[in-house]
Amino acid sequence: MNKWTKTAAGVAVSLALLGSSALANAADTIKIAMAGPVTGPVAQYGDMQFTGGNAAIEMINQAGGINGKQLEAVIYDDACDPKQAVAVANKIVNDGAKYVLGHLCSSATQPASDIYEDEGILIITAASTSPEITGRGYELVFRTIGLDSDQGPTAAKYIAEQVKPKKVAVIHDKQQYGEGIASSVKIGLEAANIPVVAFEGITAGDKDFSAIIAKLKKLDVDFVYYGGYHPELGLLLRQSKEKGLDAMFMGPEGVGNKDISSIAGEASEGLLVTLPKKYDLDPANKAVVDHIVAKGEDATGPFVWTGYAAIQAMAQGMKAGKEDPFELAEYLRNNTASTVMGDLQWDSKGDLKGFEFGVFSWHKDGTSTQKQ
Amino acid sequence: MSEQFYYFLQQILNGVTIGSTYALIAIGYTMVYGIIGMINFAHGEVYMIGSYAAFFVLAGLAMLGIDSLALLLIAAFALSIMITSAYGWSIERVAYRPLRGGNRLIPLISAIGMSIFLQNFVRLAQGSRDIAMPSLITGGWTIGPADAFNVTLSYMQVVIFVVTFISMTVLTAFISKSKMGRACRACAEDIGMANLLGINTNKVISITFVIGAALAAVAGVLLSMYYGVINPYLGFMAGLKAFTAAVLGGIGSIPGAVLGGLILGITEAITAGYFSSEYKDVVSFGLLCFVLLFMPTGILGKPEVEKV
Repeated sequence: MNKWTKTAAGVAVSLALLGSSALANAADTIKIAMAGPVTGPVAQYGDMQFTGGNAAIEMINQAGGINGKQLEAVIYDDACDPKQAVAVANKIVNDGAKYVLGHLCSSATQPASDIYEDEGILIITAASTSPEITGRGYELVFRTIGLDSDQGPTAAKYIAEQVKPKKVAVIHDKQQYGEGIASSVKIGLEAANIPVVAFEGITAGDKDFSAIIAKLKKLDVDFVYYGGYHPELGLLLRQSKEKGLDAMFMGPEGVGNKDISSIAGEASEGLLVTLPKKYDLDPANKAVVDHIVAKGEDATGPFVWTGYAAIQAMAQGMKAGKEDPFELAEYLRNNTASTVMGDLQWDSKGDLKGFEFGVFSWHKDGTSTQKQ
Repeated sequence: MSEQFYYFLQQILNGVTIGSTYALIAIGYTMVYGIIGMINFAHGEVYMIGSYAAFFVLAGLAMLGIDSLALLLIAAFALSIMITSAYGWSIERVAYRPLRGGNRLIPLISAIGMSIFLQNFVRLAQGSRDIAMPSLITGGWTIGPADAFNVTLSYMQVVIFVVTFISMTVLTAFISKSKMGRACRACAEDIGMANLLGINTNKVISITFVIGAALAAVAGVLLSMYYGVINPYLGFMAGLKAFTAAVLGGIGSIPGAVLGGLILGITEAITAGYFSSEYKDVVSFGLLCFVLLFMPTGILGKPEVEKV
C-alpha cells in the first residue's frame, strides 16, 4: 500500500464515520435546507437570508426546539444561477430535507420550486419577488416578501405623487426580476400620465454604460428607474455622475445593499430604493438583533428579517404537529403566524396578505432612511 | 454646431474608449494565433488577473501612505505587467507546451480548462463580490453648450487613448525593428522552418504569451480604474469581445486587432446610442458574421502571407 492509497483509505474511513454520525443525529433533528447564493455577484443577499435563517433556528433550538426535536440548518449554494439551483434542488431531495428556506433570486427559485413541488418539499422564499413563482397553482410554495407587482406600483405611486418628474427613463437588466419590475413601473407611470421617454434593457455583467447614458442625457431625462441588481446600477450611477447626467435614480430592493455605495461612491447619495420595512428598528425585535449582533453579523438587511420570519412560520406549524409538508402548507394557509415581521397570513397562492414596501432614500455610507 | 453633432461626437468618443481596450486585449489573441495557430481562450482571464494585480498594488501602496499620483500609476502598471506576464508565461508552460504538436483541438480544450481554473482560483482566493477600485484620475472636460447636450471627455478616457497608443507604437517598433521581433515574424510565417534555421521557437512562443499578457495587464489597469469595479467574472465577456475584435480585424494581424477593436467599440456605442442598447450585441456580432461572409479572413487578415 503506497502513500496515496493509505491517504485515500483514511479519507474513506473518516467519511464513513461522519456518515454514520449524521445518521445517528437524523432521528431527533429536523433538517431545514437553506438555499441561496453563497458565492457569485449577489452573495450579499444570500448572507442576509442565511443570517436570519440561522438566527431563527438557533433561537428556536435554545428555547427547546420543536416538541423536543432540534432544528438543523444545511446551507446550499446556488450562486443565483438557474442551472445550479436545479442541481441544488436535486441534492436537497437526495439529502432528505423536507423544508427549504430559499432560493433567493427569482430566476433560481422558479426552476427549483418545480422540483420541490414534485417531491413534496415545502419551500418558503424570503426574497424572490417574481409573481410567477406563486402563480402556477403550486401547493407547497410560499413567500415572506411582497411581489414585483406590489413593488412596481409602490415605486410608480411614489414617483408620480412625490417626485413628479418631467421625463422618465425606465432601464432594466433583461432578467426575470429586473424586467418584471421595470415593466410594472412603466405601466404605473403611464397610468399616472408621467411620460416614459425610454424603456431599454442593458446586459447584466456589462461595465460600460456610457452610450446609454449619453442617450438619456440627450433625451433630457430627469428621473431614471432601474429594474435589476446593484452591480449594474452602481456603475450606472457612477458613470452618470461622471458624464453629467443630472437625474434622480430609483431601484427595487435588489439594489439596496452597502456594495452599491462602494461601487458608486458619492453618486449613490439620494438614490431611492423600495425595501421591506426596517424590522431591525422595531423594539419588539431587540432580542433577535442582539443575538445576531453578538455573533458579529449584520442585522440590518431586509432578507435577514424575511428569512427569520419564514423559519418562524415553519416552526410554528411544526409545533402544532404539522410536520408533513402538505399539512404544514395547509396550516400556513389557514392560520396566522406570529413572526418578527408581525402577524403574517397567506392567501391560497402562497403570497402574503397585505405586504407593503417602503420607499427609502439611500446614503453614500451605505445606510438608508425611510421616506414613506 | 448642433446638438446632433455633439451627440454623435460623444458616442464616437465612448466607442473609441471601449474599442481601445478591446484592441489591447485582442493583441494577445491575435499574436498567439499568428504564431502557433491556437486560440488562447484563457486570455480574458489573464486580463482579469491584470485588474486584480492593479488593485493589490494600489491598495498596498495606499496602506503604506503613498499618495503621489505618478508613483501610484507607474507602480500599478509596472507591477501588474510583471505579475500578469508571469501568469501568461506559466499558462503557456503548464497548459499548452506539453500539448503542442498534437491535434489542434487539444490545446483549445486545455485553454478553456485554464480559463475556468483561473476564474475559480481568483473567486476562491478573493471572493466573488465586486471590489471597488479607488479612482485616481477624476474630472474631465466638457465641450459644447452648458444648458443643452454637451460632450464630456474624462481625463481617464484621454489616459486610455494615450496609453493604448503608446503600447501599440512600442509593440509595432518591437515587432518590426528588434531581433526578437524579427524572430516572431519568422515563426509566424513558418515555425518549422524558423526552427531549422536556428531560431529558438520555444522562446519566441513564450515571449508571445508574455507580450499578450503584458498588454492585457495594461488593459486591466486602465479599465479597472475607469470603471472602478472588478470581479472574477469580468474576463469572460471582455475576452469574448476582444476575440471578436481579433477575428473581425483578421486574426493573426496586429493592425487588424486594433482596427477590429475600434470598429467593434464604435459599432456598439452607435447602436446603443441611436437604436437600443438591447441590440448592441446583436448588431456587433451580426457585423462579425457579415464581415466574415465576404472576407473570411477578416478585414486585414492575409492567410499564409504574413500573420504577425
